[in-house]
Amino acid sequence: MKKLLIFSVFIVGLAAQSCTKVNETVYDKYPAAAFAATPKGADNALAIVVAKITGTWGSNYAGRDNCWYDLNSFSSDEQVIPHRNTGDWQLDFAQLYTRTAPTSLGITNNTWNWLYGAIYSANDAVAQLTAAKADPSKIAEAKVMRDWFYYLLIDDFGDVPFYTDNNTDPNTIQQTKRADIYNFIVTELKANVDLLSETKGGVYYGRFNKWAGYMVLAKVYLNAEVYTGTPHWAEALAAATKVASGGFTLHPATANTASPNGNTYYELFGNTCPDDETILAEYITENIISGNIYTIRSLNSANGTALIGFNGWNGTVIPSEYYDKFDDKDIRKKQFLVGPQAGNITYTKDISSLIDPGAGPNEGIRNTKFLTVAPNDASGGSNDFPIYRYADVLLMQAECNVRLGNSAAAEPFLKQIRTRAGLGDIANPTLDDIYNERGFELNMEGHRRQDMIRFGKYLLPHGFVSAGAEYMKLFPIPAAVLTVNPKLKQNPGYPTN
Amino acid sequence: MKKVYLFKYGLTVLFLICAFSSAFAQKSVFKGKVVDELNQPLPGATIHVKETDQSTVTDANGVFSLVGNNQSVLTVQVTFIGYDVANLVIKANETAAIKLVPNSKSLTEVVVVGYGTVKKTDLTGSVANLGAKDLNPGSVTNPLQQIAGKAAGVNINEVGSEPGVAPSIRIRGITSLSGGNDPLVVVDGVQGNMEFLNQVPPSEIASIDILKDASATAIYGSRGATGVIIITTKKGAAGKATVEYNENTSLDVIPKQLQELTASQWTKQAELQGVDVSANHGSNTDWYNLLTRNGVTQNHTLAFGSGSNGFNYRASVSAINQTGVVLGSNYKKYIARIVATQKALDDKLTLTMNVNTGVNDANYSPIGVGNAAFTSNTISQAYIARPTDPVYNTDGTYFTDPNVFHYTNPYAIAKTVSNVVNQDELFGSLRADLDIYKGLSAGWFGSWRKVNQNTGYYAPVASTITDAVTYNGQAHINNDHTDEKLMDINLSYKRDFGLSHIDATAVYEYQIQTYFGSYSAARGFANDIATYNGLQLGTLASAQNGDVSSYKNDRKLVSYLGRVNYSYNNRYYLTASFRADGSSVFGANHHFGYFPSASAAWRIDQESFMANQKVFSMLKLRGGYGVTGNQQGLPVQGSISLYGLSTNNPTTYFGGQQISLYDYIQNANPDLRWESRSETNLGLDFGLFNDRLTGTVEAYTSKTTNLLYNYNVNISGPFKVNHIFANAGTLQNKGLEASLSYAVIKTKDVSLTLAGNGSLMQNKVLKLSGVIDGIQQSTNYQPWGTNAWLVEGQPIGTYLIYKHTGVNSNGVETFAGQNADGSFDATAQSKIRYNAGQSLPKYNYAFTPSFTYKNFDASMVWRGAGGNKVFNGLRSKLSMLENLGKQNLLQSAIATGIHSSAVQSDEWLESGNYLRFQNLSLGYRINVTNIKFISALRVSLTGQNLALITKYKGLDPEVDASGGSSSGGDYGIYPRTRTFSAGLNVILK
Repeated sequence: MKKLLIFSVFIVGLAAQSCTKVNETVYDKYPAAAFAATPKGADNALAIVVAKITGTWGSNYAGRDNCWYDLNSFSSDEQVIPHRNTGDWQLDFAQLYTRTAPTSLGITNNTWNWLYGAIYSANDAVAQLTAAKADPSKIAEAKVMRDWFYYLLIDDFGDVPFYTDNNTDPNTIQQTKRADIYNFIVTELKANVDLLSETKGGVYYGRFNKWAGYMVLAKVYLNAEVYTGTPHWAEALAAATKVASGGFTLHPATANTASPNGNTYYELFGNTCPDDETILAEYITENIISGNIYTIRSLNSANGTALIGFNGWNGTVIPSEYYDKFDDKDIRKKQFLVGPQAGNITYTKDISSLIDPGAGPNEGIRNTKFLTVAPNDASGGSNDFPIYRYADVLLMQAECNVRLGNSAAAEPFLKQIRTRAGLGDIANPTLDDIYNERGFELNMEGHRRQDMIRFGKYLLPHGFVSAGAEYMKLFPIPAAVLTVNPKLKQNPGYPTN
Repeated sequence: MKKVYLFKYGLTVLFLICAFSSAFAQKSVFKGKVVDELNQPLPGATIHVKETDQSTVTDANGVFSLVGNNQSVLTVQVTFIGYDVANLVIKANETAAIKLVPNSKSLTEVVVVGYGTVKKTDLTGSVANLGAKDLNPGSVTNPLQQIAGKAAGVNINEVGSEPGVAPSIRIRGITSLSGGNDPLVVVDGVQGNMEFLNQVPPSEIASIDILKDASATAIYGSRGATGVIIITTKKGAAGKATVEYNENTSLDVIPKQLQELTASQWTKQAELQGVDVSANHGSNTDWYNLLTRNGVTQNHTLAFGSGSNGFNYRASVSAINQTGVVLGSNYKKYIARIVATQKALDDKLTLTMNVNTGVNDANYSPIGVGNAAFTSNTISQAYIARPTDPVYNTDGTYFTDPNVFHYTNPYAIAKTVSNVVNQDELFGSLRADLDIYKGLSAGWFGSWRKVNQNTGYYAPVASTITDAVTYNGQAHINNDHTDEKLMDINLSYKRDFGLSHIDATAVYEYQIQTYFGSYSAARGFANDIATYNGLQLGTLASAQNGDVSSYKNDRKLVSYLGRVNYSYNNRYYLTASFRADGSSVFGANHHFGYFPSASAAWRIDQESFMANQKVFSMLKLRGGYGVTGNQQGLPVQGSISLYGLSTNNPTTYFGGQQISLYDYIQNANPDLRWESRSETNLGLDFGLFNDRLTGTVEAYTSKTTNLLYNYNVNISGPFKVNHIFANAGTLQNKGLEASLSYAVIKTKDVSLTLAGNGSLMQNKVLKLSGVIDGIQQSTNYQPWGTNAWLVEGQPIGTYLIYKHTGVNSNGVETFAGQNADGSFDATAQSKIRYNAGQSLPKYNYAFTPSFTYKNFDASMVWRGAGGNKVFNGLRSKLSMLENLGKQNLLQSAIATGIHSSAVQSDEWLESGNYLRFQNLSLGYRINVTNIKFISALRVSLTGQNLALITKYKGLDPEVDASGGSSSGGDYGIYPRTRTFSAGLNVILK
């Protein structure tokens, strides 16, 4: 019996010894350490930053909704989504437009989170590429993207937390002055733009090349007065001129039934942004790489079905006072739909109400600047999005010259834009002429709020919108961010809670 | 060699002597028949003769016979599970009629406590013990429905009656926020998650033991914190073969509907509210009636078994067939099982094999459909659909309104979408128990469980679902495999030393659970013939990110555990246990966790000073303390930094081409570990007036530390991803439980027992912050439901809500604390919010009377809960007049006049108190003494959910109370049915 007992204990002990390992085995993912340290990992780190730009719903520059583009477009005078008296559409967009949005707005939060997520990725890419001793142009590319994200941040929010080393704990840092971040951006851009590739399109399509880098520098200088109180028109002009030296031309505008909206001009907003005029674009393929919703969001259901094969969302309308500024001869007016339309419906020019009880189902002018291209579906199309194009450079050159008191020098730049649009020349253009021309040329492309602020128009009343207060030039810092980091101060004028 | 011969011949001689002695001794035969309280024979009852230490068991007719040694009387003890022990004297050559009385406490004698059993009287921890007779009868598809209302502190929460969807169970409330609150399920020694219950045929359950306090569950270590349900299935009994058939068929109806606007009312309101006339399609459709029907549930079990000569077995086949009350939902379940036991080596070795295989085929009502942001199940689309919308277009196709964003036709969904889940389950186990030497025994147990689940989904264009229309049909399949292996080796020792009794167990256990599977999707089909069965027929150009994926992961658990039970003189009891768990899902810094417990009991009634009193027939004081863990919610591979396909941008454009993009998908957390729960329990068991009145009162307090939470973190520093599973925070639970049973009448023919139980429980979030990777994180004021929050110092899901004050002239809801311009502080900590109570019930109670008269029996279950508030989100969403143009509204919405609201105010917050008439069952045993082949026959009628007493304005205030962030919200559910069923139980000779 004893032997049996000893034997049993032995067996138990043996079995117990054999299975004591409890380490984790990873079968279906990559342990970070095994991936990030490779050259493939460093390239991937750069691609992550590029991918942040196009992003997707709620975390992108433009294309899908509820992020940077919506925040910077619906707060301007160029477009609005009214609540409909059929019950459709939440109020966010109309509230942004009428300056009545709550402090804690999803669109604002998304924009903040998108930008800081992108900055973290850029910091990470800079660190990884540096560690991997990557080509200097790649490191510069990551840095320039980071500068661009910070430029977008200070443009919307003013003083913001600033860091370039991911080991920093952002919960404990204070805001850096808008002017100081401005200085950093200018310095880092100047040190890096010349390291960037000069290749246009091809492997650099959708990426920051040298010309896109100078474009950012030009934009930052152009708005220097807003950010720092001190204008830098000459530097802006110089940077814009540098961009122009990249050999860009305006894409031709000729009537052509095969082109979107019947004119080759609208190819600028089609499936691929043409290399002749495009400086930086988002590459979009519906549902594979984000998507472009700007036309389907605007069209009403039946009109959408008739024009692009899918029910429109009956959302975005163009305020009639904005539309009315367009000259009838202007080819850029072809982007608007008003009156009887395909699908047997009629859009009215005016809307009766924005919020309560809301607009009637077919009220308001619609927009097809980004007339949907295939592949497309009920949630959008594959139109690429031009972040920067040469027309903007010409308008900046014109503006800087006027600002520098050289109206005559501005004329030829403006003339190129107006000629392509089918309009006559303006001799000795004024700032208002430049401002209006930017409105005609660059509407629906995310530039309007910044332009309105720089030209001093942002707070003026328009249409349903009453005059705004000075503090509204900045958006509120999201409440959730303030909760996490008590050292941050809410922008003046907004409830601090 | 000599010794062997001597032994051999010695045995022969001994045998001969015995044979002769019995041949020559005067034989006396003792016979008897053992019957139950209804005079039905009890096969398998044990008869133990005190004088000779002989034992026998009754046959299928309840009859036994013993051969005595010249005695004229024998003192015998008759025992049968679920019945009081009978001690009596029987006379030779007479047939004794022995009637056993059901155990007055409705408790079986032996309680399964995990890795062993103890006598009920010897329990030191808190264990609810339910025998087959205690389980709720009627139309039952899941074992949890059988214990609803039956045990204090054990709350069954059934939200809706969708076929194939199991209720949830919470033992002593919520102990974790994100770590999971489902108890561990142990079926015949095999450990598993809640889905394991699917594999247990309700009618084959012999007993359910629920371990409630930490001193009882600590033996399960890192899986014990949420309580343990131990199910023991029926085994073969000694005696002749038995064949048993159980059947139950029910009619399931919908007891109540929401009062929505009829077509004419909608039309009138639309005109008044300025809805564009284009929104009125002039039809008259009752969508809810169109989508619902009466359901039928059938339940059949055929079981048979027998036992003799150290071998017994039981086999059964069960079938459950359910037709749901919502169109398109139904469920079929088949389970076959065999349990066989063989003894060997002079009965020293016992081998038990258990094989169980099950098939579940379900068609679920589709979810994730429709345009309503707040709910996505099919039936809730019927609430939204306008009564003026037709079902069909004039050409016979399903109607849609292109002017409504993502309009879906609920009837089209119910009729055309396939949502099929097939699940095959298989488990087998082998147990070997060997008596080694004088109370020392060793055992080996191994089990292997496999679950294969295949899901198929197809939405055709006709479904009107936007994506299906866009892509000409969409289909996907999932194949998910679970593979769970468990092995343990145990040594146990049982011995009496004088008045002391010792019972010790040591166990080594190894578990490995592997999960793997795949998902594939396709869109764009030429027609609807192949549905999800031929994904290759889809259109390649319509492929999207995420259309193909697969996974594999596993978790290993190594455990060493031990327990010692010591008792002295049947008065003083001490239990101590210890378990060490090592798990692969714990972070590198905490691979092993340790879980001790100790408890004690004092049977006061056994003391000599109690000998002369007549009031207390039983009195026992218990107390215990234990530490348990919860690792259920720990994600596999959750502690290491991982790269995967980027969530937001799985494909991107870089370097002139589309590439796959990889990104961090998880932060490293080497400190990740189990939640740790320490609990103190104090209990008093009592029986008064000869056990006429029995009961238990218990109080407990527990604290969960290292509370798991998925913290939102800023992407910065060590955090590559914006959330991290980490252990910080503390949660407290306190509770009081009582159960009482009073036998009002207890005579030969009539019995009436009034029984009930109740529990009070309160949890409080003590801390919700901590340092993770050196960075202070806080989750104070985290949303946990609609306007409900996690706030330090408050219960889980505390409503901090706006006070409704009325409606302004523009139809906008007003509430207290708004600024003059209507603006307000919308933050969680806003001062204009007030504390309006909690989302989880503070108390639960049940009343379970039973009555018998001769062959007739009746029982009821009433159960209720309260002290909580329910956010009636459905009423809120169906009351906003601004939405009238695109959807239907409640009739009650008109009077409120609210067009829109910036908040979810307390206007929609309602009391969650209710009392439900859960069960009424009537049974009759037909006298079958004259029927040749039948030994017992019982027919029964059962009604379930017969009445609901509540002030709640929605359909049913029993909403999700699982403790998760959706607890306490009512956003539309699959309807809860009222059922009427007839049952038949027949035992063949």
